[in-house]
Amino acid sequence: MTVALVEDHQVVVDGVRSWFGPPGPIELVVQGPTIESVRGIAADVLLLDLNLNGTMVVDRVGELCAGGQRVIVFSEHEEPEIVRKVLDAGASAFIGKGRATKESCLETILEVAADRPSVTPPMAQAIATDEGPHRPQLSDKERAALLYWFQSMSKASVAARMGIKERTVRQYIDRARVKYAAAGRPAPTKEKLLICAIQDGLVSPDEVTVYTSLAAKGPPGDQ
Amino acid sequence: MTEEIEQIAQRYARYTALGAVVIAGVWHLGYDLTVTLTGWSSFRWPLLALAAWIVYSVVFAVGALALSRTSRGPDRILELALATLAVEIAVIVASRPDELLGISDWGFGSIGWIGVMLTWNRPRWRSEIVAFLAANAGIMLAAMAVSGSLDRVSIAKYLVVIAGGVTMQLGYMAGCHMLRARAEDTVLLARKLAADDAWRESAQRIHTDRLRRYEAIRDVAESLLTQLTDGADPGDPRVREDCTAGAMRLRRLITEREDVPDELVAVLRERIDAAERRQVLVTAPPFGEHLPALPNGVREDLLRAPVRALDGAISRARVTVSAMSTMVSVAVVADNEDLPISSTPVREASGVVVSYQRQGGEIWVNSIWEGP
Repeated sequence: MTVALVEDHQVVVDGVRSWFGPPGPIELVVQGPTIESVRGIAADVLLLDLNLNGTMVVDRVGELCAGGQRVIVFSEHEEPEIVRKVLDAGASAFIGKGRATKESCLETILEVAADRPSVTPPMAQAIATDEGPHRPQLSDKERAALLYWFQSMSKASVAARMGIKERTVRQYIDRARVKYAAAGRPAPTKEKLLICAIQDGLVSPDEVTVYTSLAAKGPPGDQ
Repeated sequence: MTEEIEQIAQRYARYTALGAVVIAGVWHLGYDLTVTLTGWSSFRWPLLALAAWIVYSVVFAVGALALSRTSRGPDRILELALATLAVEIAVIVASRPDELLGISDWGFGSIGWIGVMLTWNRPRWRSEIVAFLAANAGIMLAAMAVSGSLDRVSIAKYLVVIAGGVTMQLGYMAGCHMLRARAEDTVLLARKLAADDAWRESAQRIHTDRLRRYEAIRDVAESLLTQLTDGADPGDPRVREDCTAGAMRLRRLITEREDVPDELVAVLRERIDAAERRQVLVTAPPFGEHLPALPNGVREDLLRAPVRALDGAISRARVTVSAMSTMVSVAVVADNEDLPISSTPVREASGVVVSYQRQGGEIWVNSIWEGP
């Protein structure tokens, strides 16, 4: 499994490289301080810092995902608005630098590489508090599981609070992630996630209606 | 300051309204009653004139009550205005034809003040008072035509009474309206200035606070770097812990972007700072800038239990806030061993629900408010 890293702070690059050291399953194949510096080198997952040399690159996430590249954003800018923006643009996951550990990051990267739903705490908060016009219809339990996951210490504590099994908590959270992917703008990375979620039996095909903007259809005369 | 100015504006509205009541009252008692009683024998039907005076008094009382309560004329004035115009007709009918526009014919000059009271400060007061005064003048002109008093002297008398009455009544209304408008403008300006001052002061306070923390972080970083150059071992757990704590504070400073944080956020930041001064490692993702307005007492209830958990943290804590347009959730996860917890959620009077959980040496305290 290969990873490319776009990060402008050497100390972070060194830290991430140390996570991937052998005999782990992940190999860092390229790294650089700009998006251009890693272009052209194939990697299963692109790990992207949002603030590169003082410039936020939120607007470039869409262009990276358009070609099918799996992108994980790795940033301290965990504000729900920013997380939703990058997820809408097609990013597969968002890792908050504030709480990232080696284990949680590796788990997220491996899930994303396999096109499985991955929900980190900042993503849980962003999905649960979305009030936009195209927000997914989450059930009360799915929303509660996301919020508790963001605010508690572990999925086990969420399970204890909700009086359910930890496995069920995971299911609620994963289903919410899939619904979120289906409700946003279409992107190849999201479609891969939806296909895998259907294959895994996490959702049924009729639960997934990929949102397509009415503007994409063009005026009636063009049909 | 702003409150004082608002009170002044309210007083302007109230006392100018009461001024209209006093003028109409004095006129009605001092002139209308006097000429009705002293000229009793000169009326054709004095009892009708007295009845008109009483009806006028009733309408006056209704108007005075509305003005003293709301500084504004009554909500429904059509019936009252028609009754007042009927008073004028009654006084004309009660007077002898040769007394038309004479001293005893008090209705014509007097009812304009009732018109002033009824239309006072209503949204369409201008058109209403003009219509009322025009009806008043029209009735008298019609009476003059019916009684054949359209000679030059009568017309001149008519015009003098109209000019005198209307000028006083409209003049008083327009003058007071201008005073009120100026007072309201002053209040708006004062409010804006007060808001600007508050904004500037808060921004200044945050800026100073941020500079203070930048300075603190610089001191921490400097001391760490000095230790490292002096040969401190980066593998030493204590050095690594200090580096982690410094990095966390720096990260929080970088993501704090708002100039004037919400009050709830301001309290949390203050308690986080206090915890960090006790060497507690605190993680706190950005709180966001769009917290909904909270009803009275909710903020205090939301903060009480989580802040207690944070204040009692031994070495680490995580502080989170989630918000939607009708929901705010505050949570603290900390290694706090002393906090008494409730095994069932606690519902505060404000509607805030506080839940506690203890697991593996950590406590999770979560307070949630959900609006209507």
